[in-house]
Amino acid sequence: MRILVVEDEPTLCEQLAAGVREAGYAVDVARNGLDAHFMGDAEPFDAVVLDLGLPQMDGLTVLKKWRAAGRVMPVLILTARDNWHEKVAGIDAGADDYLTKPFHMEELLARLRALIRRAGGHASAELVCGPLTLDTRSNRVTVAGRALALTSHEYRVLAYLMHHPGEAVSRSDLVEHIYAQDFDRDSNTVEVFIGRLRKKLPPGLIETVRGMGYRLVSPQ
Amino acid sequence: MIPATLRGSLRFRLLLGTLFWIAASLVVAAWGLGNLFRQHVESQFHAQLKTHLDQLTAQLALDDAGRPTLATSLSDPRFNRPLGGLYWQIDRLAGTGAPAAPAVMRSRSLWDQVLRVPADTPATGDVHQHRIVGPDGAMLGMVERSVTINAQRLRLIVGADENLMREPVTRFNEELWLALGLLGLGLALAALVQVFVGLAPLRKLRDALGRVRSGETQRMEGDFPVEIMPLVGEFNTVLAQNADVVERARTQAGNLAHALKTPLSVLANAAAGTDDALARLVASQVESARKQVDYHLSRAQAAATARLPGVRTGVGPVVDGLLRAMRRIHAERNLDLRVRPIPANLAFRGEEQDLQEMLGNLLDNACKWAAGRVEIGAGIEDDRLVIRVDDDGKGIVAAQRQATLRRGVRADEQVPGSGLGLAIVDDLARMYGGAIVLADSPLGGLQAILTLPAVP
Repeated sequence: MRILVVEDEPTLCEQLAAGVREAGYAVDVARNGLDAHFMGDAEPFDAVVLDLGLPQMDGLTVLKKWRAAGRVMPVLILTARDNWHEKVAGIDAGADDYLTKPFHMEELLARLRALIRRAGGHASAELVCGPLTLDTRSNRVTVAGRALALTSHEYRVLAYLMHHPGEAVSRSDLVEHIYAQDFDRDSNTVEVFIGRLRKKLPPGLIETVRGMGYRLVSPQ
Repeated sequence: MIPATLRGSLRFRLLLGTLFWIAASLVVAAWGLGNLFRQHVESQFHAQLKTHLDQLTAQLALDDAGRPTLATSLSDPRFNRPLGGLYWQIDRLAGTGAPAAPAVMRSRSLWDQVLRVPADTPATGDVHQHRIVGPDGAMLGMVERSVTINAQRLRLIVGADENLMREPVTRFNEELWLALGLLGLGLALAALVQVFVGLAPLRKLRDALGRVRSGETQRMEGDFPVEIMPLVGEFNTVLAQNADVVERARTQAGNLAHALKTPLSVLANAAAGTDDALARLVASQVESARKQVDYHLSRAQAAATARLPGVRTGVGPVVDGLLRAMRRIHAERNLDLRVRPIPANLAFRGEEQDLQEMLGNLLDNACKWAAGRVEIGAGIEDDRLVIRVDDDGKGIVAAQRQATLRRGVRADEQVPGSGLGLAIVDDLARMYGGAIVLADSPLGGLQAILTLPAVP
């Protein structure tokens, strides 16, 4: 899962990025409206945390441009102005939820999880696929009730597959959703992560789709 | 005394002034015309007397016995009618030749009377005028001249009843007053119409102002006379400036919020990383600062707004916008959010942002507490806008309802929220002269009843 964090205040931006990264997501950061618009338009993010008061292009405009261009990723807006006028304007511009500053990091993460889950059509905080269970609140994966030890990249690959069960996910898709933009990407590493996951998981859960990529299948 | 209400009336003042001048001009005109006519009649009267005197003089002769006689009688028949009002008489004056004798000859009209003429001896050729008492006691206008024929000095006198001249003057005056009276009445009516027609734009001005006051229009609209147009323009400028000031105040309040809250976020997040006494202190103080900022900003914004005239907000669109937001924000809860039909022209007399703030908080509360259903309805009751928000949650016990409207008090600490929502609604409603009341809902939970000024 890859998240775009847009905030112009440097300290808050770092805190946000650190908090979201700690929760197991790949994080990209934009410090102004123009960068944010460009990145959101070019990269496939799974969710965006968007501050409204931005230099160069304000957050609402960025959001409207994304929506006009058909970008449908869930967007959580951060606003200092705690009034319904602004909230309604934000929702009407295409936001999925809002959070008023100052906020608790736990609440922001909870809202973010809910947004990503809703976007994938999942009703519960726990994603289940056969014997696999992913608790999005604690980032814990269990196999038939037994906790699974995963590195952060392994977790991201598996989490992305579990958000899209039964779908063929291409290698480049995985790369785009597990790495931040500034990370040194190499699609061969995806094969390494898949290989390690197959060893840790019951056999047959991750299929290779020839010429396409991978698919998470439930044995039932 | 003129009652104060009339003294203060522009119409009354204009009418009073106009009527006074009409009356004064008519009186002066009547007096002047009457005088002119009287003088004219008088001079004609005397001219006629003089003509008769000339005729008498021309007909005067002495008979063989030396007594005065008339060659032919005078032409005016009134000289022959007894006491007919027109008289002549010839006196012999003392002096040369014969002894003085009054009325040696006189008109038939004098009958047996003699005109008693003041002693006067006008020089030959002069004509003198006198007023004397006539035979029947009436005043006579009289002219006399003296002539000398064969050494006899004779005084020729012609007199006429002054009533002969008064009669046309009286008749003229009667008709004059009647005519001027009618003219005055017509002018007064015209003045009345002029004042009412001329001041009609003032009434229009008042109506236009009333529409601004009631929130029907934002500025004064309509065509006004050139004398009033600058006033309307100035007033509209003041209205626009007011709106501008309010908008600036809002923007500044918003900017202040932004400027304060971003550092507060940084502080809160920094403190959240550790769990010592300092971190806890920072966290609690940040929360307290945030509440203070929210509360006072919302009040400052509302205070600026409540005094702005001519603002109206349609209720329907605000409710629709908020419901869109609620459906998105509370999507997790799968609530059944319903609106009872809202009349299309239903409007709140106040700022859109304030209505959004009040309804937003009420709806948000209802969505947080509802078990599955929230309903909102709005309408006019007793000329007030009444909005009801219902939920099917567990409600608030009657004893606690009043307390939840107070600042910072929450009925339950488990559902996220600042606890300020209802207090802000209460404050805003009061600023608009409205109220928020909590009651039992027919849905089983809480019903919030918001009463606000409506646009008629």
